[in-house]
Amino acid sequence: MGYSIAEEKIFNSGHAACPGCSEALAIRYIVNTLGRDTIAVVPPSCIAIISGPQPYSSMRIPVYQTTLESSAASAAGIKRALKAKGNDHTKVVVIAGDGGTYDIGFQALSSAAERNEDFIYVCLDNEGYMNTGAQKSSSTPYLAYTTSTPSGKPTPKKNLAEIMAAHGIPYVATATTGYPDDLARKVARARELKGMRFILVLTPCLDGWGLADNAGPKTSRLAVESGIFPLYEVEDGVRYTLNYGSKGIPVGAYFSQQSRFKHLAQAQLDEIQTMVDVNWRRLQTKF
Amino acid sequence: MSQVNREVPPIWTTGWTDVLNTGTWRSAIPVHRKRPSPCRSACPVEGEIPVWVQLAREERHREAWLTLALNNPMPAVTGRICHHPCEGECNRGRYDGAVSINALEQFLGDLALEQGWTLPEPQTGPEQRVAGLEQRVAVIGGGPAGLSCAYQLRLRGYRVTVFEARPELGGVLRYGIPRYRLPEAVLAGEIRRLLALGIEVSLNRQVTAADLKELEEEYAAVFLAIGAGKAKLLPQFPAGDARVFDGLNFLDAVNTGSSPRLGRQVVVIGGGSVAMDAARSARRLGSQVKVLALESKGSLPAQADEVREALEEGVLLYDGAMVQEIGGEGERLSLACCKVVLDTGAPQGVLRPVALPGTGFALEADNIILAIGQDPDLSGWDEKLGRDKELLAVDFRGMTSRRGVFAGGDAASYERYVSAAIGQGKKAAAGIAAFLSGEVWSEEPAITAGEVSFAEVNTFYFPVLPRQERETLPVEARLGNFAEVKGGYGRAEAQLQAERCFSCGQCLECDNCYYFCPDMAVVKDSSLAEHYRVLDQYCKGCGSCVEECPRGAVVLKEETR
Repeated sequence: MGYSIAEEKIFNSGHAACPGCSEALAIRYIVNTLGRDTIAVVPPSCIAIISGPQPYSSMRIPVYQTTLESSAASAAGIKRALKAKGNDHTKVVVIAGDGGTYDIGFQALSSAAERNEDFIYVCLDNEGYMNTGAQKSSSTPYLAYTTSTPSGKPTPKKNLAEIMAAHGIPYVATATTGYPDDLARKVARARELKGMRFILVLTPCLDGWGLADNAGPKTSRLAVESGIFPLYEVEDGVRYTLNYGSKGIPVGAYFSQQSRFKHLAQAQLDEIQTMVDVNWRRLQTKF
Repeated sequence: MSQVNREVPPIWTTGWTDVLNTGTWRSAIPVHRKRPSPCRSACPVEGEIPVWVQLAREERHREAWLTLALNNPMPAVTGRICHHPCEGECNRGRYDGAVSINALEQFLGDLALEQGWTLPEPQTGPEQRVAGLEQRVAVIGGGPAGLSCAYQLRLRGYRVTVFEARPELGGVLRYGIPRYRLPEAVLAGEIRRLLALGIEVSLNRQVTAADLKELEEEYAAVFLAIGAGKAKLLPQFPAGDARVFDGLNFLDAVNTGSSPRLGRQVVVIGGGSVAMDAARSARRLGSQVKVLALESKGSLPAQADEVREALEEGVLLYDGAMVQEIGGEGERLSLACCKVVLDTGAPQGVLRPVALPGTGFALEADNIILAIGQDPDLSGWDEKLGRDKELLAVDFRGMTSRRGVFAGGDAASYERYVSAAIGQGKKAAAGIAAFLSGEVWSEEPAITAGEVSFAEVNTFYFPVLPRQERETLPVEARLGNFAEVKGGYGRAEAQLQAERCFSCGQCLECDNCYYFCPDMAVVKDSSLAEHYRVLDQYCKGCGSCVEECPRGAVVLKEETR
């Protein structure tokens, strides 16, 4: 009974993440699974804050803080440089937020995927620019409140997992912090593969979503069990495997944990429920 | 220019964040704490239910049984007949059905009898003499309360003599509860094992109040557990009519093999366990049986499964009804009855039926069995010990107004359940031990404080797994004999059903508190009883460990600085 997750102690205590932060929990299972022989690339984001206030570091590996638009290009360059030096063993991982992935870093990411560069890209998706005060990103869900969409975001969340799968890269996976063993397993799987690997990790932002400090894992599980964020893997853009899907929990149960949806009327909830059901059915045809 | 060959350090940093004190951010810190489960609070013997169920789940059956037997020497008996309030309070009842604690108890109890496991050895040895354990205690009455008290005292090392008026021990277990609910071999086996601890027994010895002085000279303390053997009567029924039995005498006769000859039509009056036992026994003796009870079907004092099984066996229930008049010429009695409602304004514990006009009906009966309750026969005792209405008055530790004389079981309580009597015997034993050793004893605070609620159980970690009932004999195999109705679990069933326990408030070292900490502030430490240490320097007090603990064994403690 209980989880059994092998960890190498890379991620340190004393980091500056908020109490109960899902991103900190995700980083724990990402870097502790990848191990010591890893170089991390981090764009401006909460992750940059969590990696440590200079001159301290929360990760016992080299971390390169690059610009917001160029994480994938930086990682590709580092990996190519390592190879040029004859080092084929050191892993390179990008750990970026959704702003740096869905929006500002997307061009670099898409072209690195097209070239099938040999690194792991992990997006910690908290559905907005939470570090700068909760503005919307193209990952923010339909009708969610952010400080830049005060009456709710008028357009749906961009489906990045499918976009990345459409690049036909060796490995795409979705994961979330409520299932730490599943997250660690996917990171370990990505570590064994070559070429571009992409993992999208839903990390509920306690402050930006309006959640209790202890509600990160529970909320992340509700996202899965309501069918909003199914956990699955795609190999070479075609082989789909479902890990955890909808258990038929209504989206309202997931939303009720959060303040960013509290303005929704029943009709809007029903509309979202229909969209979620349609997306879930469409995804199921791929397994 | 000479070439400088300096190795480039792999990591450009001057230190790690683990020198920082993020613990100063918090206002509350998690504490790993063993907490009471609702089942334990409800248990009349205060049994450590989550502990023994967990041991059973780990297939450490003997340890499980020993844990069970610590509070109750007769698990195979109570595993069959306990009214199991634990299951009513079980947190899993609000999820996918209460854990079948009673059936698991029966499984362990039966396994112990089959394997011949023995109860823990009493404390003996020279050092015990110093502690005053050579003192002797007299237990009057060999029913559940008396046997439980004798056991608990013997375990502590005291010398105990049980006085029993009847030829055999067991009290209501032997002379009241029918064999189809409690087979004789089970009872005999558990009593034999209990006596093997070195408890003296004096059978066929009716102790009366006149003997008290003599007993007090020989024994340092006395425990009175004489039961409630005096059946209540109804004024409508003429005394001395051979067609009318009282439920206790009837069941006694059935259990001792001297069943009276019943006519074809039997009416049982009463809605409690004795009424159901009498009705089902009469059914087995070949009569048509009707039960007349004041209460409505859903609120009968008898256990729900007793009522269900009685109905399955063809007993007809006339609920919410009473007898107004008895008449009848010749052989048969004729009962004029009517429907009633119970006056909700009546004092607690008092049934005040109000007849509903125009609902009259008549029943014919060759025999009537009265099972409307019973009182203890306190003649002589009450003058010496003090009474409280129909009971002996006792204080919180079970002592009567007379120093050194304790009482328990049905003679001192209206909680007329076998397990309640076992609990009272256990409590009185603690009171007697305190009295004999001169210890000051104060009432313990209620154990319900800090009980784990259903909201504190994280059901994500418990996949739905339905409760399975024990198998029962088909109805046609039940009538005409007194074979046991309920079967028991096999090993595989017991294993599966034990898996269902949430283990409320018990740390099972699942490591969730460790794995869900974003600050790596929870560490395993096997040298600690609570298994984990929370690092004061780093814990930010988010409470994820509390939320992710499947069973409420971590709590947040507020800190003030």
